[in-house]
Amino acid sequence: MGPLTALLLIATSTAAAPRATPPAILVSRQLLEAEHLEVGDVVLLSADPKGGQPRPFRIAGTYEPVPDPAHLGAPALEARLHLPDLVALAADPADPASADSVQSINVTLADRKEAPAFMRELDARVPGLLLRETAAADDRDVTFVVLDRFHLAIAIVTVVASSIFLLALMVMLVDERREMVAILRLIGLRRRRIFLQVLAEGLVIALAGALFGVVLAVALEGGFNRFFQWRYDTALVFVRVTPAIASRAVAVAVPLGILASVAASWGLLRQGALSLARR
Amino acid sequence: MWTFALRSLARQPGRAILGVLGVAAVGALLFDMLLLSRGLLVSFRALLDSAGFDVRVIAADVTVAARPRLDGSASAVAAIRSLPEVEDVVPLAFGGARTDGRDGAPLELFLLGAGPARRQPWIILQGRAPDPAAGAAPELIVNRNLADRLGLHDGQELILRGDCGHEPAATPPVRFRVTGRASFPFDDPRALTAATTMDELRRVCGTEDGDDADILLVASREGQGPMAAVQAIRARRPDLHAYSNEEVVARFQQVGFSYFRQISTVLSSITLFFGFLLITVLLTVSVNQRFAEIAALRALGFTRRRVILDVLAQSVILVGAGGLVSLPLGFLLARRLEAILHAMPEIPAAMRFFAFEPRALGVHALLLMVTAVLAAAYPMRLVARLPIAATLRTEVVT
Repeated sequence: MGPLTALLLIATSTAAAPRATPPAILVSRQLLEAEHLEVGDVVLLSADPKGGQPRPFRIAGTYEPVPDPAHLGAPALEARLHLPDLVALAADPADPASADSVQSINVTLADRKEAPAFMRELDARVPGLLLRETAAADDRDVTFVVLDRFHLAIAIVTVVASSIFLLALMVMLVDERREMVAILRLIGLRRRRIFLQVLAEGLVIALAGALFGVVLAVALEGGFNRFFQWRYDTALVFVRVTPAIASRAVAVAVPLGILASVAASWGLLRQGALSLARR
Repeated sequence: MWTFALRSLARQPGRAILGVLGVAAVGALLFDMLLLSRGLLVSFRALLDSAGFDVRVIAADVTVAARPRLDGSASAVAAIRSLPEVEDVVPLAFGGARTDGRDGAPLELFLLGAGPARRQPWIILQGRAPDPAAGAAPELIVNRNLADRLGLHDGQELILRGDCGHEPAATPPVRFRVTGRASFPFDDPRALTAATTMDELRRVCGTEDGDDADILLVASREGQGPMAAVQAIRARRPDLHAYSNEEVVARFQQVGFSYFRQISTVLSSITLFFGFLLITVLLTVSVNQRFAEIAALRALGFTRRRVILDVLAQSVILVGAGGLVSLPLGFLLARRLEAILHAMPEIPAAMRFFAFEPRALGVHALLLMVTAVLAAAYPMRLVARLPIAATLRTEVVT
């Protein structure tokens, strides 16, 4: 059977439906809304792009299509038919084989690990079939691997910019405390002691900043998702702050914060107490 | 004013350098996001225009996957070619074929058939286009990938077995003679593509009696423009759907890769906010530390306007210098990001996610300038409201 290349949809009212109940179909929520259809309506479907040989179907319900990131922005105008109805609708009268053929058969194995052996056996028994394990990578996976890399690259640039910002802030903070450091040194505190204090301060600031960032991300998560779900009319989840992602963000931010504190304070700590006080 | 602002910044070089570097980093990202926001559209438009056809005619206004073929293409071509607004028309049909690789394994390739026309929808790199009036052996032109994969050279023979999908027929193999190499605008980097005449494509696909095509490419007559050609085609053949390249791009803008436009908008906003925050903090701290100095300058006769402009000038210098550094950084980053994104399957090799256009440079400069002014607003307000006598007294007492 060739692919169902197009659907011609003519909505009619329930009252205009023929007496013999047409076969039931499900239509996607997007299609229902786009064509102002209602459950119970009878519609004419055709496999011919020009609308030839239409057949009536009754809308028995609606469904939310499985979100597909590969079709972002394209409304899911879909309908689900019972297989015999679809085969009858799309069969080519000139090709008797088309009434008894399908594009693919999905198989669920009792043991998923048996997939390679099952495929080998089936290939030997029915040569000419194209067998594919659903868990295998395909082009769409490649697309999302690429997007993942792209996001990572953007994240690295953002972290670099943030680090410079952080360093600038710490330089200013340290500069303002030059006199205080001089006094601490003059009253007897050692460099090591002040260094530990700077380290502790850096740790506290970095931890607070990282935690604030995670809380902000969690707070914005819902808003981002709702906006993009509305924008693309999809149930896809765009942003998900998982514990792993939060941990990774903290693991990057905290050492960077400490490093910025130390780098900013380094010059100050290396100067003598008198030199600092004479400023 | 500028010299004074420069000297103020030079007094704390570490801080100024960090400010410039920070703006450079966010400016580079901003520049890249501006390139990304329209990159695909710009390069898609360039691809559409590359072969010299500015109007596309199809059978139905539906997605590519569901699009029916255009029946009676010969009469449609004749009708369109007779229009005074039209310079040339070429019908195109797409199919597939298999051949044997060097190792004997079957190799699938994309096969394109073009009707007779003065222009061709590909760019000849070497040799010549297939000639419909060729002698015994039908002719074929191949892309570089296919030529390299099979070690093909001009005059060599290649046997193709049709695998056109839309007609489930077992077709006999056809022996072609390679006439040259061509570049096909929409090829992805790994595409194995070959092109022949429309008649030979139908022969390979086993549809010799057919008269259909997938698309008609139309070149409007010079001086008339694509929209005049589109209107004329719609009037002559209302059953067909004609679109100018501009309309195709507009439709692509609605659905194709809108994700990248969204992400570029979000990241542009974030980077601008980031730059604004950085400069505001730098200038505010700097102004706070210079209260006594500013009050003294005011007491010496500097006007309020003069010291306010000094703060603004510092902001403009920081953002301006950062913005200048951000351009080469942005270009380098864009090349890296382009290489990452181009690993996506089925993206034409000539397509660019980050396409430069002068407009992006202008928008980049404008956004950074607005950021500089906004970032200076709060420290300028602090300076404007500074009480001279009270500040001097406080400074002397402390």
